[in-house]
Amino acid sequence: MRRAVRLLSLALSAVFATASASHAQAPKEVVIGVIYPLSGNLAQIGIDSVTAMKMAVELYNTKSDLNLPAMKKTTEGLPGLGGAKIRLIVVDHQGKPDVGQAEAERLITQEKVTAILGSVFSSVTATTSQVAERYGVPHMNGESSSPSLTERGFKWFFRTSPHDGHFTLAMFDFLKDFEKKKGVKFKTVGLMHEDTLFGADSGKVQEELAKKYGYEVVLNMAYRAKTTSLDAEVGRLKAAGPDVFFPTSYTSDAVLYIKTAKTLEYIPRMLIAQNAGWVDPQFVAEMNKDIEGHITRSPFALDLQAKKPLIRQINELFKKQKDNPGGRDISEAPTRALTAFTVLVDAINRAKSTNPEEIRKALVATNVPPDQLLMPWTGVRFDEKGQNAGVRAILQQIQKGAYATIWPFDLAAADVIYPLPGFKDKK
Amino acid sequence: MPAGTRWTGASILLLLLLAFPLVFTQPHPRHVVITIFLFAMLAQAWNLLAGYCGQISLGHAVFFGAGAYTSTLLVKYFDLSPWLGMVVGAVVAVAVSQLIGYPVFRLRGHYFAIATIAVGEIVNTLMINWDWAGGARGLFVPIKRPDSFLNLQFHQSKQNYYYIALGLLLLAFWITRKVERSRMGYYLRAIREDQDAAASLGIPVAAYKQRAMALSAALTALGGSFYAQYILFIDPDSVFPTALSILICLVAVLGGIGTLWGPLIGAAILIPLGEWTRIYFGGTGKAMDLLIYGALIMLVSIIQPGGIMALAQRGRRRTG
Amino acid sequence: MTAEVLVQGLVSGLLMGFVYALIAAGLSLIFGLMEIVNFAHGEFLMGAMFATFWAWALWKLDPLVSLPLTLALLALLGLLVYHGLIRWILGAPMLAQIFATFGLAIFMRAAAQALWGADFRLVKNPLVDGRVSLGGVFIGLPQLVASVGALVAFGFLYWFIRRTETGLALQATSQDRQAAMLMGIDTQRMFALGWAIGAACVGAAGALLAMFFYIFPDVGATFALLAYVTVALGGFGNVPATLLAGVIVGVVEVLGGLLIAPALKYAVVFSLYLVVVLWRPQGLLGRF
Repeated sequence: MRRAVRLLSLALSAVFATASASHAQAPKEVVIGVIYPLSGNLAQIGIDSVTAMKMAVELYNTKSDLNLPAMKKTTEGLPGLGGAKIRLIVVDHQGKPDVGQAEAERLITQEKVTAILGSVFSSVTATTSQVAERYGVPHMNGESSSPSLTERGFKWFFRTSPHDGHFTLAMFDFLKDFEKKKGVKFKTVGLMHEDTLFGADSGKVQEELAKKYGYEVVLNMAYRAKTTSLDAEVGRLKAAGPDVFFPTSYTSDAVLYIKTAKTLEYIPRMLIAQNAGWVDPQFVAEMNKDIEGHITRSPFALDLQAKKPLIRQINELFKKQKDNPGGRDISEAPTRALTAFTVLVDAINRAKSTNPEEIRKALVATNVPPDQLLMPWTGVRFDEKGQNAGVRAILQQIQKGAYATIWPFDLAAADVIYPLPGFKDKK
Repeated sequence: MPAGTRWTGASILLLLLLAFPLVFTQPHPRHVVITIFLFAMLAQAWNLLAGYCGQISLGHAVFFGAGAYTSTLLVKYFDLSPWLGMVVGAVVAVAVSQLIGYPVFRLRGHYFAIATIAVGEIVNTLMINWDWAGGARGLFVPIKRPDSFLNLQFHQSKQNYYYIALGLLLLAFWITRKVERSRMGYYLRAIREDQDAAASLGIPVAAYKQRAMALSAALTALGGSFYAQYILFIDPDSVFPTALSILICLVAVLGGIGTLWGPLIGAAILIPLGEWTRIYFGGTGKAMDLLIYGALIMLVSIIQPGGIMALAQRGRRRTG
Repeated sequence: MTAEVLVQGLVSGLLMGFVYALIAAGLSLIFGLMEIVNFAHGEFLMGAMFATFWAWALWKLDPLVSLPLTLALLALLGLLVYHGLIRWILGAPMLAQIFATFGLAIFMRAAAQALWGADFRLVKNPLVDGRVSLGGVFIGLPQLVASVGALVAFGFLYWFIRRTETGLALQATSQDRQAAMLMGIDTQRMFALGWAIGAACVGAAGALLAMFFYIFPDVGATFALLAYVTVALGGFGNVPATLLAGVIVGVVEVLGGLLIAPALKYAVVFSLYLVVVLWRPQGLLGRF
């Protein structure tokens, strides 16, 4: 008799699985597909991000009193789903859009993931989100900064992080604020960006906004990513001599730029970087004094931990992760991944189901308050395009080898160092 | 092996391939086989030039990208059917191949190989900087609904992509077989064995190299157009990189170059190998998948430098 | 574009060119000896840079101090690769050799990530650091030392090949394998020696480069590409020509970036290479 009932209920749930969610029977496990770059140039970003997410999974699956979305709880697992545990399936997309696409498809149809998270590279996110859209599976993104991703009218795509438009706008708003505050006037700007999607997008937005804000763009130069030397590039910068210099470079090229600028003694009055290389913790540790005074946009600020104990708690935990050799501080990339991930889990928890439509509705209804975020945002609420409307880009300056938040002025932890100090000789 | 059994074998294989999507309805197995078909086809196209004519090109991504970009740009700006785009893409690739061929065919051996890498890098760089063609941002193939053969877009199922890829592969096989048996085939092999001797026998060496290149480029471009319609997104990094040129070469070499079946065998081994090592070991962040992949490539080259086909041929010689 | 910027560019390009030449020298030597292009050459460079980095990180050895160590280590790696891989495919067609060394490249890159992670690393505060200014032209001291090191290495290589008995045997082997064998030269030993020396050259380049360049598993790829073009531009197997070609590549790269566009600078280098081989199919100073 009991067997018959179980069989019947199984058959029924199979019939209704597609029509209405399996409301009655909470799943034991929530499987989330994580598609990140784990080999090649940006492997470290992917590895750090996955480390942060695994850390969060452990917190969700046990009891925890951390004030992250849906994490403060006295039971194990997700309370909304009767204590269901989270399991991640992590895959490498190797920076290739077609690989990302294939993996998204495999994760959805074969591994039956509830949602997809990824994929750092805007180009890969473009294809993975297309697959998620086709299959009707929620796709969360925490890093890709190409503005076009949320302009496609997708139903299933959500982005917690600011995009290049927000970031670049912040840079120019800062310039205006700074001019007003300090009574200085900038006339010319110079742009240098690497020639992949990230750099091309950044360069385009920066040029448009610079013109709109009344600055003359004296140089807008793309350079070959992974170049072996930047002598010609820095030479051109010296020749053009812009007041404010905006580089968009990944870590490798950023290192090369600093080395070359130091050798050729190129010092702009102000340098504002489109994060990437400039928010890599390794970069700051390695370049040390040579980047004193550099400004970078960032959605995350470790120095806000004085105001926000949550940041300190998470950072301490992150430093202890076994996949984080050397116990490095949590940096921008893993924080962004962690934020996107916790917002997603929060929605699944509120949906009380792994049914995609229920989760989508929960995501649309997302309203994460600022105190549950590591980011200095006003919260997480998605607009009709799936873009987080609560984002706020901040600018940080490297001061004495650490990041100091300098803008918006109401969040600032330190004064702006201006003009850029020259390169100090060692010792 | 008598010709009769070989044909029976080929027919059975074809039937199995035709039946595959009916048994495997999940998208991922189909995707893997579609990728095998695509790379078998590309390797076959490459084989025409490298295997039969002895000109080792490491820049075939240029033709692949030419096909992918031509059809996509035509859909995007002129709303032309990708099928027509494919044909135009092939024509563009042939034109490009003749332009490239003129200088580089004067080079021999490694000089030729390196020159084709250089050409590939130049074209890749130019595409990154060509804004009208999307530049580094790449191009999305405009989504057309509902699914149709005319638009070469199928969002519901991969079945049609599967049969189209199979069709392209058969086309590549058919052309290779035609060439193999024609006067051109003999000329090409003569050029491969000794181009000076071939020239002294009155074979127009330069003209036949160009012809082999044209054929190879056209086929590669068809593959490129198909890829664009299949993935629906292209950028210079995914269709023009030297790594792609080398992968095409690896597939053919693994199977055995200068043979009809080599490219298919190579693709059937290398593509799933890359896929599985990535799926099972790629998530570690320790590059374990690539470690295994690289080690296996070295192992194969030591054990069987002539490719898998050499193994088969050796076996055949022994038995018959 | 002022003259000052151009002169600066020329000087920087020249210094970088010497380093490119040294990277390419090993490749050229091995090719001349046995007509094999090592597609894992960039990974040899990466290995040398990591060796230098670890010597610095673990034992506080400056790149210049650990240079002999790196040389020895790379020579050992060359021997290992020769005996473990290349020896088995000597008779195989050119394609099988491409295939094998390409597999090696993937393997080495992955091994570096598995062992040391994907982080970018730097040797901080090397013994030689900073720059000097000569009439408004800046010269990075690490670059200068690297260039001088490259020239010394070339001088040594030239002396070794042209003036020592082993070098002459090496040269004989590269000119005619059969004849050399008949003369009683152990060609297998010569090949192994060629790999050791070739790898040592790239070892020197890696150690010198590590003074001013970042280090990570994929660092070799771009340099390797330039090395192939450098070797082909000079002419395969001709070591002095490699020096000339390296300098040309270095200077053209900077001038292309300054006068045309930085995004196109490698396209300019590769186009120049194509123009040259159109005119001289065997490279500038090559022989068929």
